[in-house]
Parts: sequence; structure tokens; C-alpha cells
Amino acid sequence: MKRPAQWNFAASLVERLGHGSELLDAPSGERFAAAELSTAIADFAATFAAAGLRHGDRVLIGCNLRPLSSLAYLGAMFGGLVAVPVNENTLAGSGEALARKTRARAVWTERGIRPDWAARCGLSELEGRPPRAGCDNAAPAACSEHDLAALMATSGSSAAPRLVKVSHGNLIANTEAIIRSQRLGRDERALLILPVSYCFGASVLHTHLWQGGAVVFDSRFTFPDKVLRAIAHYGCTSFAGVPTAYQILLRRSNIRSIPLPSLRRFLQAGGALGVASIRQMRAIVPHAGFFVMYGQTEATARISCLPPERLADKAGSVGVPLDNVMVRIVGADGEDVPAGESGELCVAGKSISAGYLDEPEETRRRFRGGWLATGDIASRDADGYLWITGREGEFLKMCGIRVGFAEIEASVAAVPGVLECAALAVPHAEAGEALALFVVAAAEADDVIAAVRRGLPAKCICDSITRVAQLPRNAHGKLIRSQLPRLARHALPGDEIRARASESSRPAEEISRT
Amino acid sequence: MQHVLARVQRAFSAAFDTDPGSITINTVPGDIRAWDSMGHVTLASSLEQEFAVTFDVDELMEMENVREIVRIVQAKLARFDQAVACR
Repeated sequence: MKRPAQWNFAASLVERLGHGSELLDAPSGERFAAAELSTAIADFAATFAAAGLRHGDRVLIGCNLRPLSSLAYLGAMFGGLVAVPVNENTLAGSGEALARKTRARAVWTERGIRPDWAARCGLSELEGRPPRAGCDNAAPAACSEHDLAALMATSGSSAAPRLVKVSHGNLIANTEAIIRSQRLGRDERALLILPVSYCFGASVLHTHLWQGGAVVFDSRFTFPDKVLRAIAHYGCTSFAGVPTAYQILLRRSNIRSIPLPSLRRFLQAGGALGVASIRQMRAIVPHAGFFVMYGQTEATARISCLPPERLADKAGSVGVPLDNVMVRIVGADGEDVPAGESGELCVAGKSISAGYLDEPEETRRRFRGGWLATGDIASRDADGYLWITGREGEFLKMCGIRVGFAEIEASVAAVPGVLECAALAVPHAEAGEALALFVVAAAEADDVIAAVRRGLPAKCICDSITRVAQLPRNAHGKLIRSQLPRLARHALPGDEIRARASESSRPAEEISRT
Repeated sequence: MQHVLARVQRAFSAAFDTDPGSITINTVPGDIRAWDSMGHVTLASSLEQEFAVTFDVDELMEMENVREIVRIVQAKLARFDQAVACR
């Protein structure tokens, strides 16, 4: 049985800090060494308390890619508050709605952004470094396993973000399981280009500090060579990125010539990265393991992980569940489907959150009897590996046959010359719906559209294939499918293929046989 | 130089929907919220369309502000003019 303070995630994390623990800002070289970390976290807790915040109060934390905001986030938890990490760039625009929804009592920003709504909503405004509280061993707040530690915005591309209620127990369970799945040692240093307001970024911060390691923040991924050089300069062992980050490394950086001798692992989550891109990354940096992972904010962060040694024979899989996550694949009747068959992926365990803030209906729909219905359509093979084949609602229905966007996109991404692609359903007179494809291709791939068309599954009725410079993505690199139709108007000159596929002009009877 | 800057401003408008007048020779990524890693890719495509050139990876890395962008574009256009004159 844990003592109450031990359920305080930030307090447990502080206890585990070691000599190698530090937070660094790569561009400036600013550094919070081991001893300063625990002091700063306790000072933040003291500052929040001095501002009148009490156990369970919510505080908005304006997050950026520098160390201080991560310390404010951990300091809030340490003091028994509920941290609401939010990207500081979005505070001006969406902060007021978030403040009202969370009924937050304070907002902290590093540079004192002072949003005009803060006073209107009655929020205390805090900024910058906390003053030294004068006591080195400030006691953490006692928390129970189920006390809320953070409200995390969902990162999905669908509609408005929801706030997930993440408890201290959720964070401890997920952090420990991730460490085991990634085999993190006691001497790790992560290079982080993801903010802590995104659960993937938060999980990297948590796991590396929990192991007594370090995190190097770098806000310069606009110029990826700088980040690659920082990995080498600071001796980083882990790099975490969403699929877009790896696409940028492969296409828009000098990763082929910048040595990364210290790197042990690439961590990839936040959507599917094509198998061809993963193979390229492996070939360029063969000494670093490539960890493909799957997760959801609703499950704190990570759900499954593909061990790098199985990358070859399980390419395209999201791996096996973390060792404290249970999995079911459920059919439309609510019963488990046999191995190899598709159904909705449902997960349970101590890292599954309690649901959404103030959304009882959606919480009831997604969280049933201790199981989280992920909304992802998946199958599990005989070896227990999970394969995501689609997303609830993300499919085409052509002549009565359902085909998942994910399945189509995976097959198109395998065509040589294709870098990224996205599928969309468009109305079709005979088939009900047809496929509209958007493809980002290598500059030298001239006949890529024809190759994509030839490679489409026979059951697909293709309306159009449009070559575009890039796909619309949100700040976390997630595809914004609703913006795809606009791309048709911005297609690369000369490359847009709007000619109706020959299939679509055939009579319906004939289509149904293809 | 002024002419190139005006066309660079137009490329910024196409990429980020910015007011052309708000882009000066001293503008840096931190001044425009959308000028992040993905925004840089959008901007590069927009500049490539505007000037009918292509940038290599090293040139993308050097585009740390509008002044550098103008310099890189001018150098490319000059090389192109030279090649035409030699023909």
C-alpha cells in the first residue's frame, strides 16, 4: 500500500530524480541541474498556494518548448492542484473557453502573456520563475490514486478537443509501463520537440525524469538540422516524433550526413507512419531502435508498442499492449471477435482515465464497465500483435462495401515515390461514395499518379487523385481530413488529375462486380 | 531587392494568409504563429511556386528570417540569369 504522498505523481517523480536528471533548453543552453529541479517544482507549488489555490483547484499552464513550463506543470501536481497544460500559442485564442470549461482559478505563463480574458474570468495571473520559497524540503500534497493530476486536451483531428481526466494513479501506471516497453535505462536523455500539453510530449518528460534521466527541449524543428545537431551535442539517447516529424527528417533535413552516435531509439506515435519511411529511418540510423507506438489521451498516453526487433516481421503493426493494459477486439454485437478479425479496439487497466470533463454522455459512450472503447478498428493476430485497420466513421461505403481509409492509405503509401497520402469519401451517383485521394510525392516521381491508380484495391471506385505539396495537419501533426476538399483548389500545377476514373462511368451493376 | 521582397511577401500571404505589409526584412519565425516546422514546408512550396525555383535542404536550413530568404532567392535568380546569358 502506497503512502498518500507516494500517489502524488510529481512527488514520486521528484524522489526518483538522480545526478543525471536535468532539463535543458537546447537553443540557449539554459540548464536546470538535478538539485534545481526539485527546488523549482516545490517553489512552483508554494507560489500557487500563496496565490490562494487549494487542493483540486485547476490551473492553466501555458506550455512552450522550454524547461520552465514543464516545471510549472509538475509544480502544480506536486501541490495537489490539477494542471491544465495548454500550448501558450493558443492561450490568446482558445484560453477563455478553456478557462470557463475547466473553471480554472489561475493561469501561469512564462513570459506574462496576460491574456485579456483572464481578469474577465476572475483568474489569478502568474508568470515566470517562482521566488525561492526558502525551504528545500517542501512537503508535497497528499493525493489518492484517483485524485485528478491533469486535464489533458485530446489531440485527435475530430471536432473540438475534449478534456480527459487523468489521475495520479493513471500517470504512475502508464509511466512505469512505458519505461518497461522502451527499456529505458537510468542514463537516458530525451530530445523533445513536442510540448507537454500533448500527452505524447508529457509521456516523454515523465518517463525520462522518472528514470533519473534528462530532457532537452528544442523549439527549432522548423530548422531540423539544428535539432539533429542538438541530439549529438547534448548526447541524447531518445528522440520522439509524430509521423510528420519523421517525414520532415527524411525529406527536409541532412539526417543522412549528421552523425547521431548517442541516439539509442526513435519513438514514434501520433498516427501511422508508412512502412517505407520506417525502413528509410532504420537504414539511415541503423544503431537506433525504432519504436512504433499507439496510444490515446484517454488512456493517459501509450497503449501499445512494437518491439524494434519485430519491426521486420510485424511491419505495419502497432505492436503488443503495454504489460499493464488489457485488450479486447469487439464486434458489432459487443462480443470478442476471433483472432485475425477486425472489430473495435477496447482497452482496460490502471492507465485508462476516468473519462471526459463534464461530458457524461460521451464518457458513457466511450468508457463502459472499466473498458475504453478507442474508436479504432483493429485486429489481433495469433501472436497477439495489434493492427489498426481504420477508425470509427473513417471509411468509404462503395456499393455497400466498407473500406477503411487507413487500409487504402497504407496501400497507397507503399507505392514507390509516394511520401504521404490521405483518402476522402466523395458522393458518387452509382456507387454511393467514391474515393478521392490526395498524394504527396517525391519531386522526381513523374508517373506517380498512374502508379497509384494501378495499385488501388480492385474494390475501390476512384473519383480523383490529386497531387499536393502537403497535407493539412494540426499542431500535433494529425491529419485534418475535413480540410482535404480545399486542397483540390490548391493542387500542384499540372499534376491534378481530375479525370473521372473509367470505373465511375460504368453502370452500377458492373461496379458491384469489381 | 524591393521587387524580390514584394514577391516574398506575396509568397508569405499565400502560405500563412498574412498581410503583405506585415512582413519586413527583419521578420523571423517567432513573429508568425504558423511559421513552425510544417509552416516552413508550406512557405518553401509557396516560394518555389512564386519564383519557379526549387530549394535544397541546406537552403531551407538557412532561411531563418526574411532577409536570408531574400538573399537566397536573389542568388538563385542571379544564377538563372547568368545561365540564360551564357546560352
